[in-house]
Amino acid sequence: MGIDAAFVDELRHALGREHVITEPEQLRVYECDGLTGHRAVPEVVALPGSTAEVQAVVRACHRERVPFVARGAGTGLSGGATPVAGGVVVSLARMNRILEIDLESRRVRVEPGVANLDVTRAVAGDGYFYAPDPSSQQVCTIGGNVAENSGGAHCLKHGFTVHHVTGLTVVLPDGELVELGGKALDPDGMDLLGVVVGSEGTLGIVTEITLRIVRAPETVRTLLAGFRSTDAAGAAVSGIVAGGILPSAIEMMDRLTIEAAERSVAPGYPEGAEAVLIVELDGVAAQVEEDADEVERICLGCGAFELRAATDDAARALLWKGRKSAFAAMGRMATDYYVQDGVVPRTRLPDVLRKIEALSAEHGLRVGNVFHAGDGNLHPLVLYDSEQGETERARELAEAILEACLDAGGSLTGEHGVGMDKACSMPRMFSERDLEVFARLRSAFDPDGLCNPGKVIPTPRLCGEVPGPYRVHALERIGVAERL
Amino acid sequence: MPSVSSLEEAAAVLAAASADGRSLRVGEDLTTEGLGRILEHEAGDLTCTVEAGVRLSTLNAALALSGQRLSLDPPGDPTVGALLAENTSGPLRHRFGAPRDLILGVTLVLADGTVANAGGKVVKNVAGYDLGRLVCGSRGRLALIARASFRLHPLPKAARTLVVETDDAARVVATLLRSQLEPSALDVLHPGRVAVFFEGSERAVDTQLTAAQVLVGGEEAGAEVWAEARERQGTAGGRVRFAPGELGAVLSTVSEAIVRPAAGVAYTRDEPLPSGSEPQSPEAAAREGLEERIRLAFDPNGVLAA
Repeated sequence: MGIDAAFVDELRHALGREHVITEPEQLRVYECDGLTGHRAVPEVVALPGSTAEVQAVVRACHRERVPFVARGAGTGLSGGATPVAGGVVVSLARMNRILEIDLESRRVRVEPGVANLDVTRAVAGDGYFYAPDPSSQQVCTIGGNVAENSGGAHCLKHGFTVHHVTGLTVVLPDGELVELGGKALDPDGMDLLGVVVGSEGTLGIVTEITLRIVRAPETVRTLLAGFRSTDAAGAAVSGIVAGGILPSAIEMMDRLTIEAAERSVAPGYPEGAEAVLIVELDGVAAQVEEDADEVERICLGCGAFELRAATDDAARALLWKGRKSAFAAMGRMATDYYVQDGVVPRTRLPDVLRKIEALSAEHGLRVGNVFHAGDGNLHPLVLYDSEQGETERARELAEAILEACLDAGGSLTGEHGVGMDKACSMPRMFSERDLEVFARLRSAFDPDGLCNPGKVIPTPRLCGEVPGPYRVHALERIGVAERL
Repeated sequence: MPSVSSLEEAAAVLAAASADGRSLRVGEDLTTEGLGRILEHEAGDLTCTVEAGVRLSTLNAALALSGQRLSLDPPGDPTVGALLAENTSGPLRHRFGAPRDLILGVTLVLADGTVANAGGKVVKNVAGYDLGRLVCGSRGRLALIARASFRLHPLPKAARTLVVETDDAARVVATLLRSQLEPSALDVLHPGRVAVFFEGSERAVDTQLTAAQVLVGGEEAGAEVWAEARERQGTAGGRVRFAPGELGAVLSTVSEAIVRPAAGVAYTRDEPLPSGSEPQSPEAAAREGLEERIRLAFDPNGVLAA
C-alpha cells in the first residue's frame, strides 16, 4: 500500500489542498531539524489545523502502514524530528493558537505549535510566566517541548516541562484520541502524562496542552563571578548547592567560550577569567537578598577575583548576553562544532571537566564548555573543521566525552533528547533488558511501529548488529548482583 | 506473607508465580519490607537511592543527619514503594510536588522476573522512557518497584505556620496565591480554616508570615494543624479533582475536606456522590484501553492484575 495518489488525495480532502505538500523542493525544507547531519526527505508533509485533522492524517497513515513524524519548529538538537524517507511529516505549525487563559486556575491551554515564549508573553502583563525556558524559546514550540521534556537555564529551581504540563490531548498512533490529566494535578492511575512528556514523539501526537503558569517572583538577583580556573568555579557550585541554596540558575562558561562570546557580542566579562559563573536567584526579597550575600561569600571563598551583580532587567541582560550567545559565537572559533548534552552528578563536575580537557588534548581538537552547572548538565562544544577531515575525530571525541559522563554515574542527555543522534548510544546507559522493557511500553502505544520510528530505541538496522559496550547502570553500581 | 529482601528473590518469586499462573498482590501477598537498605545518599548532589521497603520516616531521619530531606509528607509512614505506587503526597505537595515530581530513576521487577532500570540518579536526564513516573500511581499493577532514586532538598533553617479562620476560604486562598509569597504548604481545612506554611531562613520566614498576615489576617499556629490535615487526608472517604479556579464552587458542595487548592485536589470526608449514569466519554474510555494495553505489555499473564 503506502503512499499513492489516492492517499495524497485523501489528505488533501481532509486538510485542504494547500496544506498537503508533495513538491520535492518544498519537501526539502523538512529534511532535517536542528541536528543537520541527519537528513531524509519525506514523501508528504501534512499541515493539519485541528485535532480532528491530525486524527485524519494519522488514521490514514495507520491504515496504509505509512510511518509518520510529528514536527514543531524543527529546532531540536537530537534529530527527533528527522523525517522517515517515504513517510509523512505532520507539521503542527498551523496549530498555534492559545486556546484559553485561566488565571484563576493558573493554567493556559495551548495548541502544540505555540512558541514557548508566547505563553509567557500572553500572561506576563498579569504577573505570571511559563517557567521552562529552553534557549530556543523564541521559536521552539510547546509541542516540541513536550516531546523532549525541555529544560532551560532556569529549570534548576522551577523544574522541567514535565513539572509544568497538567493536561494533554493525544492522538494515539492508530488515530484514537485520549485525554490525560486536565487542570487539576494528580490524576488517578499510572502517570501517563509523565511518560508521554519526554517520549520524543514516539507515543503519539499531542494536539492540546494544559500548562501550569507561575507567579512572577518578587525579586530577581543575578551575579556574575570570574574565576582563575574551572576547578575553582566548580568548587563554588558545590559550595552553593551544599549550602542549601537553590538558585533558579547556575551557568558556567570556560575560557574558550568566554573568548568566543567576547569576539561575537563583547559582553565584557572579567579580563583573564578561566571560568565565569552566572548565578540567578529569584523569589521572596528577604530570602533572595540573604542567599545572594551567601553566594557572593562562597564565590569569594573559592577564589572569585571579580563579582558583578545585577538587580534590574537591563543589567541582567548584560550579564546573560555572553552566555546566551555562546553557541552562535562558536561559529567564530571554528567552521563546525558538535554539541553534547551529557549529565554528571554535580559533585563530579571538576573531575569530568579535567577528563574532557585531557580527551581534548588527546584528540587534538578544542572543546568549549558552556553548561548548566547547577544540575550537572554539560554542553561541551567540540570544534572541528569538516574540510580538514576532522569530522570522524570530532565524533570520536564527543563519544569519549559521553563515556566520561556515564562513567561518572550520569546520563547521555539532560535536555536535548536521544532522538536519532544518540539512539545507538543507548546500550551504553541501559541494558538489553531495560531497552526491551522500553520497547514493550512503546508497542503498547504503537504496535505497528509507525510513530517516529528509529528514534530513542536502537535498532539493528540503524546501529549495526553489534550493540555498543554495556556500561554498569548508575543504579546498579551501588549494590551487588543487580543484573539478573 | 513472603517478604523479599533482594532483587533476585523478588524476580524469582514473581517468575515462579508467572510460571504457575498465580496472581500476586504487591504489598499484600508479597511485601518489599525486606528491601530495606538506603543504598546511596550523595549529600553534595542532593540525591539518594533507596530500596522500596525503606519507610519514609527512616529515610528522612537518615537524610536529616546531612541537613536534607525527601520533601514528601503523606499521611502515615509509607514505604518508598507504597509511596510511589500510590503517588501520595501531603501538605508539602504545594511547593515540592508529588512523588512523580521528585523521582529520578527506578528499578522494577516485572511479573515475569525481568529486572529493568529506567531514568538514573542525576537530577536532569531525558534518556529513555520515564518508567519511574509511569509506575507512580500504578498501585502495584505494572511491576514491583524495587528501588528508586530521588531528588532531595535542604532542610529549612526556620519554619512557621499561619492559620486564618474564615468563612470565605476561596478568597483567602486567591489572595495568597495572587501574592508573591512562596509558601511550602497551603491547605484549606474545610470548613473554616486556611493554613499556610513558610520555610526558609529565619528572616525570610518572618517577613513572609508578617506579609501574609497583612494580606489575610490570621494567627500564628503550631505544627498540630499539619498533623490534623494529614490525619484528615489519611482518613478521607473520597477525593475530588477540580480546576483550581473553581475552589469556591467546590467548597460549597462538600461539607468537610482537606483541600490543596493549587493542585486542585480535595480529600473529602464522605465519598463523593456518584456522578449518576452519565456515559463515559470516548476519550476516557480510550485512556482505560491504553492503560490496559500497557498492563498487558508489562504483565501479559496478569500476575499483578489482582
